[in-house]
Parts: sequence; structure tokens; C-alpha cells
Amino acid sequence: MSLNAFITKETLDGSDDGPLSGKTVAVKDNISTEGLRTTCGSAMLEDYVPPYDATVVELLKDAGATIVGKANMDEFGMGTTTETSAFGPTKNPVDESRVPGGSSGGSAAAVAAGEADLALGTDTGGSIRCPAAFCGVVGIKPTYGLVSRYGLVAYANSLEQIGPIAPTVEDAAALLDVIAGPDDRDGTTRDAGADSNYAAAADGDVEGLTIGVPTEFVEGADEGVEEAFWAALDELEAQGAEYREVSMPSVEKAVAAYYVIAMSEASSNLARFDGVRYGKSGGYDGNWNEAFARAREEGFGSEVKRRILLGTYALSAGYHDKYYAKAQDARAWVKQDFDEAFEDVDVVASPTMPVPPFELGESLDDPLQMYLADANTVPVNLANLPAISVPAGETDGLPVGLQLIGPKFGEETIVRAASAVEN
Amino acid sequence: MTAQALEQRELAVVIGLEVHVQLETATKIFCSCSTEPAEDEEPNTRVCPVCLGLPGALPVLNEAAVESAVKIGKALNADIAEDTRFHRKNYYYPDLPKNFQITQYDAPICADGTLEVSVEGTRRDIGITRAHLEEDPGSLQHKGGSIDTADYTLVNYNRAGTPLVEIVTEPDFRSPQETRAFLAKLEEVLEYLGVFDATRDGSLRIDANISLVPADEVDDDGSISDEALEAANRTEVKNISSHKGAEKALAYEVTRQKNAIKRGRAVEQETRHWDESRGITVSMRSKEEEKDYRYFREADLPPLQVAHWKEEIPIPELPDARRERFHTEYGIDEESASKLTSTKEVADFFEDVAAEFDADLAATWVADNLLGELNYRDMHITDVSDRLDEFTRLVELVDADEVTTKNAEEIVLREMLDEGKDPDTIVDEEGLGKADDDEIGGFVQEAIDENPDAVEDYHNGEGGALNFLVGQVMQKSKGSADPGTVNQLLRERLDE
Repeated sequence: MSLNAFITKETLDGSDDGPLSGKTVAVKDNISTEGLRTTCGSAMLEDYVPPYDATVVELLKDAGATIVGKANMDEFGMGTTTETSAFGPTKNPVDESRVPGGSSGGSAAAVAAGEADLALGTDTGGSIRCPAAFCGVVGIKPTYGLVSRYGLVAYANSLEQIGPIAPTVEDAAALLDVIAGPDDRDGTTRDAGADSNYAAAADGDVEGLTIGVPTEFVEGADEGVEEAFWAALDELEAQGAEYREVSMPSVEKAVAAYYVIAMSEASSNLARFDGVRYGKSGGYDGNWNEAFARAREEGFGSEVKRRILLGTYALSAGYHDKYYAKAQDARAWVKQDFDEAFEDVDVVASPTMPVPPFELGESLDDPLQMYLADANTVPVNLANLPAISVPAGETDGLPVGLQLIGPKFGEETIVRAASAVEN
Repeated sequence: MTAQALEQRELAVVIGLEVHVQLETATKIFCSCSTEPAEDEEPNTRVCPVCLGLPGALPVLNEAAVESAVKIGKALNADIAEDTRFHRKNYYYPDLPKNFQITQYDAPICADGTLEVSVEGTRRDIGITRAHLEEDPGSLQHKGGSIDTADYTLVNYNRAGTPLVEIVTEPDFRSPQETRAFLAKLEEVLEYLGVFDATRDGSLRIDANISLVPADEVDDDGSISDEALEAANRTEVKNISSHKGAEKALAYEVTRQKNAIKRGRAVEQETRHWDESRGITVSMRSKEEEKDYRYFREADLPPLQVAHWKEEIPIPELPDARRERFHTEYGIDEESASKLTSTKEVADFFEDVAAEFDADLAATWVADNLLGELNYRDMHITDVSDRLDEFTRLVELVDADEVTTKNAEEIVLREMLDEGKDPDTIVDEEGLGKADDDEIGGFVQEAIDENPDAVEDYHNGEGGALNFLVGQVMQKSKGSADPGTVNQLLRERLDE
């Protein structure tokens, strides 16, 4: 039985020679590929074929990678399970009755099942790290501004980054080496980190590394997940690292702040899908607004509609200060908490997901429960920081991921620490 | 409000403007597409993923647009913000590729400036609230009717992404005439700065807010209390595209509002559309229907710190200052000084000519002769800017007495413009070189020999005879003789 990891299976060959030559790569279907449809997991873009390549796709081709298809995802990245895809859910290769996580579930499942050597995912609030953890592979969410977003169909543009998913830390780091660096077409990219060698940093040397563990990130986690987490930290300690508890009170507000900001931005980013140039268009009676409404009603799934409606509400006159402005304050507070933590520690560690993979269908009826599962991943996006999820044991035969968060452009540090976890 | 009813009080006009100026940059504000329409351009051909708003495309700010905005800020004596940033203005409209417009909201690049206008000799400072950068939407073509009744509407995104500066004034105008004077002045300044091309279609688009307040609420200096402004219902008039249009639309609106008040009806707070062809404003939507634009930060464009550009980016001498200098430095009267500073190109041309000759001669030749002939031909100074040397040579010929002023004006200059020849060629071909005294002597003798009757009349004391003979000589010389010399030579011969 197919895992349904891909929305579109098609091979795009890269250049003859390069660091990724001979490697197959799955590309999440919200990353534009010239001449190859890019659906974002949405019926709205079922037939949309971009006329241009995203910067990261150009870089993959230049590096000699062979793209093997467009990976399944939650519609426009809005989900934690890949079940909101208009193209059906993807199954977790570790246990096909479970979800692969999301929203980059197709990317992680393809790598875990060996359907691709590597994959690109995108991470707005955990969408690389969650499926990496659920599928037992490695995923990196880079610092905001390290990887060009040109060609990434925006969900929440102040939060998201494209990043690698791979079977090992070194492979993920090598893919990051290919895609990282400033881009004239993305004004938010920065020079910092451009000269780094992430693959070389995967040397497993954690001697003297200080790890902070925020109590807020561990409390409330599933018991089996917590056990695996502490076991991984003990293992790191045995290799020369030390860990201590730190407190980050702001993270209590992180999920609320994240969803207000992400939904607000989504309500604007997805406004262009109005049936005129994309989606089901034409044949509607009434004026423009009525035709737009019909096209959007038909083209979007219910989770996308929920987020657009809530985001529109949060930005509206009279509610803007109560929701959007407050969320921005909380975001600043989260950044500040991380800044303070990094004065004392080199990396911050937590379970990537507080729970093991859900059963297929389990969480669809309870969106709030699904949102709360993002508690440990969203603070990283709010603070624009890099983080990696690396497999750290199992609970009841299901994978557990360890999340290591670094300071801005501290990808080498988290790669080094994560490679020690693999030892 | 006092007890006296509004309809019985003297009313004063209060107007504020929002002026959208297309910037004359080579490329669009967020991509590298040209801003210049190609000849016979097909719709939706001057576009790319960015200005089409394709999924995944990102805006990257064009520095030239920011420089233009800084220049405008300097020319309007405005502050350039230490920190400036972009926002999204969210609304659904088919001319917006993304269904939001990238604009500036709480931190415009320029704020708090002034521009002096003069109407019938009275000078007033108009306050500039702010000037901010934004992207132009595409354009719509309604087929088979107007916006409401069309069978269908076509969208053209060629214009989408053209950089705009929106200049917002204080409600400082007290008459439609003042708005016209302001817009003319603003256009002049923008052209001097080289950031704007008035000949481009749709390069200036104006919205006006207008209300009527009791005249006794206006202080002697023209200021009005905020309470009086708040109390008056205002209309916003959209779709004005010229100085003249502004004056007409607002004069119409003043009359309409006054009539409403006279009849005891309240002025509706609403948005109205100026219908240029019918010369009226029509209601578009009431205030209650106004949109909530849900402004929020555009995260794809990092904040800008460009206040120091104010010192680094030079702007040219502006028209008022140049006019004043032409008056004092060259002693040119105000009317000529105004003509000579009407555009930067004319003023530059004049100063190049004045560098070689007497300023009065240069002023006469540029302000009167050249501009007059250009205007007659619907040409502009820019059409002859590269022929400065030829024009200077013409003035030199006149100055050195080698061509008469009359021939220079009526033959040489006109042929230069009509046929593109240089002045020396025209003088040669037309035989306009000033005749020397021997040559004139020959013509004089011929005239005497050919007109014995006139000679006799002269000797009989008939004054008209001499003028007739002068005319004969002038004809023979094809105007190249100096009439004074001819007159003197004729008298000498006739009186011998």
C-alpha cells in the first residue's frame, strides 16, 4: 500500500555534477517548481503550474540533486498531521495507522520510507520538526533569513523557513549547506551563516556544551516521551555536555500568539486565491465579491477557512489591538526569554512533540488539541531561531524526537549537538 | 455649533488633498520590470512573478524609488523618518494582484512638510502631513458598460508595481483655485527633481476631501479649530487627474454642498466619483460602507533607516529659488523669469545661453523667441536641448550684427525648427548675410535709376517718397541691409 507521500511524482534531473549528485530529493508541494504543478495540498491550486523555480529548487538542481516529486502536506501548511491535504492523508511508514505529522508529512514519510534520500520541508510553527520526530528522521528549521523563501508559497511569511529533512544529521546538514545563503530575490535573507560548513559540524563533539532545559517545555509531555527525552540528555551528559533547567515563562503565551500571528498573515497571504487567476473560476452569478466568495468557498478546505476567518477577525478594526498587537508583544517577550537563556546556555533542549504520533483521524475533530501539540515548536518560529529535531529513542515502538534550539545563526552548534545524539 | 442654523451662516471652504505621483524610476518598486510602457504594448506583457503576485514571489525594494521619495521630502521641507517600514493594506479588488497593496502606514518616509502657493498675489503655506511610498495596482477595462453595468472586465497588470508616492496635505486649502495652484506648483517641483513625468498618462491622480464650515470659525490666519472640522460632514472626491480637473471638480462640489445646506439638507459623509466628461461628481459609497483595510506590517520588506540620505542625496535648485535668482542675478523681470524657470530644462538652457551673451539678449531669445516658436509648433525645450550650440550660434550672429534681428527671428529660427538645419547653412542658402555698404550702395543706385518719379517726388518735398525708396532697397537686399544705413545712403545720393 502506498503511503501517499507524494502529490505529484515526476523526476526533474539536476546538473551532472555537484555535492548532491546521485541523491534523490522530495520537495514539499508549497515550493515552486517551474513547469511542475505546485498545489500546496489545496484543491484551489490543483492545476497551478508555476512559471518559475524557487531559489532552493535552482540550488538543488545546481547541486546535482534529482527531484523525484512534490511531497504531500497539510493544505497550505495548516496542520500537524498532513490530514488536511486535499489529496488525502499520508501514512506514517513506522506505523501506517498513524499520521506522519505535519505539515511536511509527505517529505518526512518519503525520507523515512526510503522513497527519497532527502527532502525539503517548510516550517512555520513546527512543520519540519514535527513530522521528522513522528517519522523518526532528522529535520532542521533554519534561522529566519538563512534560506531564501523566494518561491515558497506563503502561509505566514514572518515565521516560516524552508529546511532539510534527512535520515541523518550529517545528511540534513549537507542539504542545508546547499540551500543556505543570501538571495537578492528575498530581502529578508542575511549574509550571516553563508560561509558555514554545516555538514562538517556534525562531528559529535559536545565536550563542554551547556544545554538548557526549560521546565515549561517538559511539563505535560506524554510519559514515554519524557522518559526518552531524559535518556537522550543523560546520553549527551555522558559525552561531556552538561544540562541545567532554565525558566521561560513566556512560552505559556506562545501557542496563542503564534496562532494569532500565523492566521493573521495567512488571511492576507491567501487573499490572492480568488478564482480570477487560480482555482475554480468563472460561471458564478453576481458581482466580484460574490464570485470571489464562491471560488474560495469551493477551493479551500475547512482548516484553511477556519484560519483565514480567525486571522481576518484578529486584524479587524476594534480587535487588532486586542489580538494582533498583543500577539506581537508576546512574540517580543518570547524572543527576550530566549535571548536571556542563551546568555547562560549554548542550546535549549526539549521534546520536539509532547506526544507520540496520533492515530489517523484522531485529531481532525479537535483543532484546539492539535494546536496545543505545537507548544514546543512554535516558540522557535516566534523567536526566528534555528532548531533541529533528531530521533531520540521510542515510546511503545513509536519514534520520539529531541529538539535542540540554537541562538540566531547557531546552526553549527545544534548540528554538532544533534550528531552526538545519534552516537 | 451656535444656535444660528448652518444654512443662514456664511460658509468657508476647507479642502485637503491626497496626491498620487508615479515615480519616474527605470524599474518597478518591487521587481525589475520596466516602468516604461512599450509602444503598442500588449496587456499583461510587462510583468513578472513579483508584480503578478504569483504564489511564492517576494517583493524587493527598489532603492531608486526610496531616493525619489527622499528628494520629494527634501523639496517639501519634510522630515525624513529615522525608521520607516511597509504595511499591507488588505482589500479585494481585481486590479490588485495579491488582493492587498504594499504601502506605508504608521511610519511614512516623509512627514510634516510645507509647500508655498501663490494665488492672485497672495502667498500661503500648505501643510504636507505625510508622503509615503506604495505600489500602483494594475488597471481595469470595463467592457460593455461602466464599473457597475459592464458585461465583463479585463485586467491589465502592466502598470502593477509602478512606484507611487502619495502626498497627503493638511486641510489647508480655502478655495478650489488654491488646489489648482498647489498642484501646478507641486508638478513643477517634481519635474525639477527629475522624479516625475507629467506627460505620462495617469502620472498624477488626486483624491480631495472637501467640507464647508461656518466662515466665522476661520481665524484671520486661515486656521480652523479641530472641533469645527470634525463637526462638518465632508466628501471625498476621487478620480481627479489634473490641476484643471481638481479646480472644476471642487468648484462643482462647493456649489453642490452649498445648495444642500441652503435647502436645509445635511451634506452626506461619503465618497464621490468625479465624472470628467459630464463635469459632475456622483456618489460611490457612504461612509458606513467604508472598508476596514486591516493594516499590518509587511514582513517581506525589512524596515529602512534612510534619514541620513537627506544629507547624502542632492536636489537641484528649486523653481522659486531659481526664479528669484534670475531676477536678482540677471536683472530679468518677473514675467520673463517665470517663463525661464517653467521647467528645469528651460532654465538650464537659458543659463547656458546667458553664459555667453548679455543676459537681456539671452532672455529675449530664449523666453520670447525660442519658447514662442516652440509653443507654436507644440514642441518642448527638450526637443532642442541637444542643439544648444546651434541656438547659441544664432544669437551670436545677431549679436555680431551679421544677421538682422528680423531675419534671425522670422527666417533662421523658424527654419532651424522646421527643417533642422544649422543657422550658418540657412544664412548661406537664403543669402541673409548682412550686406556691406558697397553692396547697399549698388542697390541704392539701382533704386534711384529705376524710380525717377519717386526721385522727383522726393525733390518736391514729398516725405513718403524716401520711405518708398528705402523699401525698394530693402527688397533688393532681401532684408539683409540695415534700414538706417539705407536711409542715410539714399539721402546722401539724392541730395548730391
